[in-house]
Amino acid sequence: MKKTYGWAGNVLHVDLTNGKVEKIPTSDYKPEEFIGGVGLNAKIFWELGCPEVGAYDPDNPLIISAGPLTGIYGPFGRAEVGSISPQCYPDELYTYSGFGGMFPAEMKYAGYDSIFVTGKAEKPVFLSIVDDEVKVKDANELWGMDTFDTQQKLMTDEPGSSNLVIGPAGENLSRIAVILNETECAAGQGGFGAVMGSKNLKAISAKGTGRINIADPNSFMDLIKLIVEENKKSKTAVNFRAPLFATPEIQNGFQDRYYKKQYGCYGCPQQCHSIHEVKDIGRGGLSCANGFYWFFSDKPEDIWEANILSQKLGINTFETALFFPHLLMASYVRGILKSNKVRDDLGLPVPRWLGGTDSNHEFLTVLLGKIANGEKPYSEGTARFIEYYKDKLEFGRELMAVYKELSTVNGYHVHYINNLGGELHKAVDTRDPYNSCHDYLNQDTENPHIHNEAMDHFGLPTFEQSQTVDMNKTDYQRVDNTTAWVQDNQSLKNSLPVCEWFSTPKNFHNSPQMDLRVFESRMLSVVTGLDIDTSSLAETGERITNLLRAIMVKRENRTRESDTLNEPYFKKAVTMNMVQTGPIDKDKFEQLKDRFYQLRGWDVRTGQPTRAKLEELGLNDVADELTKVGRLR
Amino acid sequence: MSMVKARTHIIHDQNICTACGICELMCSLYHEDLYSPSLSRSQIVRQPFTADHEYYVCQQCESPKCYEACPLKDAAICIDSATGIVYINGEECTGCGECVNACPFDPPRININVKSDVAFKCDLCRGREDGPICIEYCPFQAIKLESKDER
Repeated sequence: MKKTYGWAGNVLHVDLTNGKVEKIPTSDYKPEEFIGGVGLNAKIFWELGCPEVGAYDPDNPLIISAGPLTGIYGPFGRAEVGSISPQCYPDELYTYSGFGGMFPAEMKYAGYDSIFVTGKAEKPVFLSIVDDEVKVKDANELWGMDTFDTQQKLMTDEPGSSNLVIGPAGENLSRIAVILNETECAAGQGGFGAVMGSKNLKAISAKGTGRINIADPNSFMDLIKLIVEENKKSKTAVNFRAPLFATPEIQNGFQDRYYKKQYGCYGCPQQCHSIHEVKDIGRGGLSCANGFYWFFSDKPEDIWEANILSQKLGINTFETALFFPHLLMASYVRGILKSNKVRDDLGLPVPRWLGGTDSNHEFLTVLLGKIANGEKPYSEGTARFIEYYKDKLEFGRELMAVYKELSTVNGYHVHYINNLGGELHKAVDTRDPYNSCHDYLNQDTENPHIHNEAMDHFGLPTFEQSQTVDMNKTDYQRVDNTTAWVQDNQSLKNSLPVCEWFSTPKNFHNSPQMDLRVFESRMLSVVTGLDIDTSSLAETGERITNLLRAIMVKRENRTRESDTLNEPYFKKAVTMNMVQTGPIDKDKFEQLKDRFYQLRGWDVRTGQPTRAKLEELGLNDVADELTKVGRLR
Repeated sequence: MSMVKARTHIIHDQNICTACGICELMCSLYHEDLYSPSLSRSQIVRQPFTADHEYYVCQQCESPKCYEACPLKDAAICIDSATGIVYINGEECTGCGECVNACPFDPPRININVKSDVAFKCDLCRGREDGPICIEYCPFQAIKLESKDER
């Protein structure tokens, strides 16, 4: 086999319906054009014909791709999942979610850049990968086990393996089930744990003794030195510790008693996660999303149980720690949801923040239990929970109105996007786009100098004018540039991959050698041996964004009309996460979309890519296919 | 840090180590020009659920059994006369595995590179100006050199 640099060289396809295992050279998927991660996932999904099936249909592929930088030194130890998502609402869309830990590197050492699974096994199975040896094995014994026990069993049976698993929530097809590696490295948004569950696939176990070749080891050493220096200087080095977001007093007390160790993805010097152990409750991890549990409690031990329960059951904490309680609390505060209705109508314990006397512990354990057991509507995720009650309760429609203030049009809780650039990005994505868009977060209203410093980076290739994003939400000019830039940057970050925490402009920006794109293109060049400069890398980001858009257009008939926000954003100022957004002027927003599509080279009338743009990016086959299905005008 | 001159070996602080694997990665990069934890001279076993990660590396025994067991003693396994470092000469090693069998530790601190059929183990980056590369790049100072005399 030809020696490859950076890439492991193989894509693994397993069809669970007939047990067939197939190894395809990665070069068949043009990795130099789509890199890895979301880019390679999109390419594989496109080649599979963008199946117009539901999330639980056996023909929905579950695609997992690492990138050429995964498994080497640095903040690159991640992979991305791509699949039709059961969590997207109202329609199940093709979307993405990333994760770190050990598995992404391990799959590369085993020899695979991507693993994609199609079909459905007759009974519970797991996929066992030890280098070249790939087997579909019986998982009867594992089915029903929590994520920690499953991994421990698999690690005992195959020492040195790293395991990607689902918990009971995934088995029972909860639409907010995660795919988990280790303690808290999860592909969280998307509900992909349930896609695994629908295939009767309990786990993917990987063990690799192979290698990742570096084209230019000497130059690579120089880049490592830069990472080491930057990591030392980093102003915003992240280390998540429990109880995140609590008062310093509570936090210090908890740390003193229970903090065990820093932890993180393989190969990364930052190690931003942490492990805590609370006596009689248990040990588990913490990163960002699960930290939101502490927003509503002053009893950290109680919350700790909810945290590790989420990890063990395999539940998306962005839903259970943030979206769902946030929605109930907002409805209660506004007088829409009365205390007694929480128990009588919604069937849940009533904690203090909903005017009751039940403990947070009770509320959370009951809720998590229902989700893990697949009890509807709880297990369906926040969006469908509200949909379920909309016409059943006299205040159902009011609940729906609150839901709309807190969510994207595709059913996800919004993140801290507090400017028009973020809103536009949200409107054109398939989920909450913050998988890798903290770039917008750098518009720090309290520290505008940080904002300016960070935004200087947006002057790099292609979108020179995107230096500023208005924080007062009145200036709609130039926002199109910023959104396009961040979108392409997101495509790159999630394809190389580069960790979001390490690579926000605020974190990783000292000019000139550490500028985004400059650093990324040098890194990719010395690792892969390809000649990649800043502008060719920028074009690659644009190509991936366009392929993702083409998938939306082909499979989901994505149009200009679907690129929007929920109505409340156009009607009033919506305050969430302490950040005020809107009201957004609808006419100006539509004009912004005009300019955005123009800048993108997309049809302004339809919001769909044009042949000229697709051909410019070498996506001629994509243009032909879109023409064939009547979606290229 | 400077080049290793006296009899030393690497010690590991389990209370600090996060199993980030950078020691393994830098080791394989330095010695093999590629990334492969299985070719690293030190081995980390990640324990995500206890956080008590295991670490294995050559202890640079004072009476090295691997050296005694080697059929090509002083050619394939040698002892550096200046520093006392026990090292493998890849040019001469035939990969017979006698040294692996003789290693008194479990797991053995010598392994065979199955691709090149040569034994490999930690030689403290003998000859490297800045000493062992793993120590230089550990982000948490979880590994360091300990002199035999200090023990």
